[in-house]
Parts: sequence; C-alpha cells; structure tokens
Amino acid sequence: MPRQVLEDTLTADSIAADTALAASGDASAFERLYRTHVARVHTLVRRMLDADEADDVTQDVFIRAWQKLSTFRGESAFGTWLHRLAVNVVLARRKSVGVERGRFIADDKPLDDVSGNRVTPELSMDFEEALARLPEGARQVFVLHDVEGYRHEEIARMLGVVPGTSKSQLHHARMALRRHLDR
Amino acid sequence: MNDIWNNRLSEYIDGELDSTERAALEAHLASCGECYATLGELRQVLARAQALQDTVPATDLWRGIAQQIRRESAVDRPDRLVRRRFSFSVPQLLAASIALMLMSGGGAWLALQSRQTIADTRAESAPRTRITQAATWTGRTDAAIADLQTVLAQNESRLDTATVRIVRQNLALIDRAIADARIALQKDPGNAYLNLHLAETMRRKVELLRRVNDMAAARS
Repeated sequence: MPRQVLEDTLTADSIAADTALAASGDASAFERLYRTHVARVHTLVRRMLDADEADDVTQDVFIRAWQKLSTFRGESAFGTWLHRLAVNVVLARRKSVGVERGRFIADDKPLDDVSGNRVTPELSMDFEEALARLPEGARQVFVLHDVEGYRHEEIARMLGVVPGTSKSQLHHARMALRRHLDR
Repeated sequence: MNDIWNNRLSEYIDGELDSTERAALEAHLASCGECYATLGELRQVLARAQALQDTVPATDLWRGIAQQIRRESAVDRPDRLVRRRFSFSVPQLLAASIALMLMSGGGAWLALQSRQTIADTRAESAPRTRITQAATWTGRTDAAIADLQTVLAQNESRLDTATVRIVRQNLALIDRAIADARIALQKDPGNAYLNLHLAETMRRKVELLRRVNDMAAARS
C-alpha cells in the first residue's frame, strides 16, 4: 500500500472513531473533528456568504452537527455529511436574511463591477476577492458547481431555481472571473 | 464574437451540449478567434476554482462552540443519554465496524509485507468479541497485550524502520481510542455501544501485536 494511501486510511479511520465517540457525547472527540474540518467548512461559508458572517455561521454549522450527530448513520464519510449540513445552513441563512429569488436574476451592476474592462495592475484584485464581489446568486452557483462539484440539477433543487438559471449564472460568473486569472 | 455561441461556451466545457450543438459550436470556434480565446479563459477559470485552497479562520471558533454544546448538554443531558443509547444500537454499531478498523490501514500494509504470516494469523484469530463483564475481559486482554508488547520490544530490532514507524502509529491510534472509550465508559458504564467499542479496539490491538510478532519471528 503506498504510504499516502495508508496515511489517508489511518486518517479516515481516526475520523470514524472520533465520530463514534463524539456521537456518544465525547466533546474532546468532537473538538478533534472540528480541528480537522474547520478550514473546509469556514472556507465554504466565507465563499457562499459575506466574509463577516463566516465565523458565526461556521460556529452554527458545528453546533448543529453536534446536535444532529445521533442521526449520522455512517452511510457517507463524516466530512461529506458535515459539508452537506454546512451547505444547508448557508442556504437557510440566505433565506432567513431575506435574499429573495430575484437576486438570482439580473443583478448586472455588481457583475459588471467584477468583470468590467480588463483590469490594470493597480486596480486588479485577488481571484478570491473577485469571487466575493460576484452577485450572490452567481457566486453561490459558481462555488457549488466549480469549487464544490455539485451538478446543476442538485444546485437548482437547493436554490429553488430551474437548472437553466443555474447554468446561466455559472456562465456569467465565469465570464466575470476570467478577468482575474492572473492573480 | 457571437453572443449566441458565447453563451453556450460553459455548457460546452461542462459537456452539456448534445452532439449536434457541439458540432455546430466547434465549427464556429474554428472561425471565431474571440470565442476560441474566451473558451480558453473559461477553462482556466474552472481550473483555478478547482485549485482554490481552504484556509482556517483567523480566530479560533472552538471556544464558542464548546460553550454552546456544554450549555446544551447541561440542559438536556437526561434525555440525551436515553435517546442516544437507543440510537446507537444499530447505526452506531455499524459505524463502529468502520471506526474500529483503526488498524486496517496498517493491517493492509502489513498484509503486503507478509501474506503468509497474516494467513496463519487469520486462522488463529479469535471469534468476534462478545460483551461480557467489563472487568473480566478487560483484565484478561490487558494481560495479553502486556505479554505481546514485551515480546514486541524484544523483536522490534528485526523489523525495518518503516515497519516499526507504521506499527507505532497504529498502536498510538488504538491506544487513544482505548483511552477515550474507557473515559466514556466511566460516565456511562451500561452503554452497549461503548462496551463493544472498547472490546473491539482491544481485540484489534491484540491482533496487530500478534501479526507484528509473527512477522518479526519469520525474519529471525
């Protein structure tokens, strides 16, 4: 067995053991799970929402994970389960703060702001920063599809839009972000 | 640049055009340098997205999470214990079968190192552990582990460095799981899941020590 595969297996086994212990109420095991997964969850949340919400929502994701651990059946990896939970929390947050479906249609001004003309060095921004400045609908579709690997049908279900809207938003996002490839 | 075709470039990249549309777009790309260039940029955007790195938050969020879960545990602990004890009976025992493959990675690796030894060991392996009086079986297993560890200390020099390192990593993982399970059992001695968890983990440790000792003996 290649060393990397072995180490991945050991990590997976360790996470599975911690998941079982955390489900029994072991907070130390849950803290180890937090340490292992916080970067992935926090980054997802930060990209999907505004950066200043990321800490609060990340904490909310882990608190909900703790509450729901007894429903975790081990049918998927803990990381997959937690990631899906994080997406659900983010989308619920989106609804609760009144982000209506309308935000998914044309929100041309911010999109133009990101794409604009080809940027000069002094005006250029980091790719992540450009991503953060996309309109919320385009940003969420881009993150879910291109970064996280969800399919348009899944995204459409999660966001309450039709797949065609998801495809259109993705294309607009990519067109805007191509101006920031050099950073 | 033709807007009609430009708007289909992402679908083309994602393989979502049917064969007729794909052929028509490719014919257009052959004659439109702007669309061709845009296609290349969109592919780079996709590659960039897939290469983005995760970053840890600037502040440690665990303290707030720990406070919240402590508060909840204090409020609903009686209900939580009852509810969880039942919920563990099936799903968590399944989870345990995965979780308690703590040495599976090392075991598989060792299997590649010494197939014959493992075959012999498999024939000797004990039947699945049953939950008995904890004090009885943990005492017996602790004694067996102590004996095997003594033998391993004598045999370790016969193994190569990489093997010793992997074995020690596995043993450390198993020891941590055993310690965690014992702590959890002190809080909830009647928990069937935790008893099984501890028993299986200790059995795995015995198995691993036996395999390593067999392997070392085969190299003498």
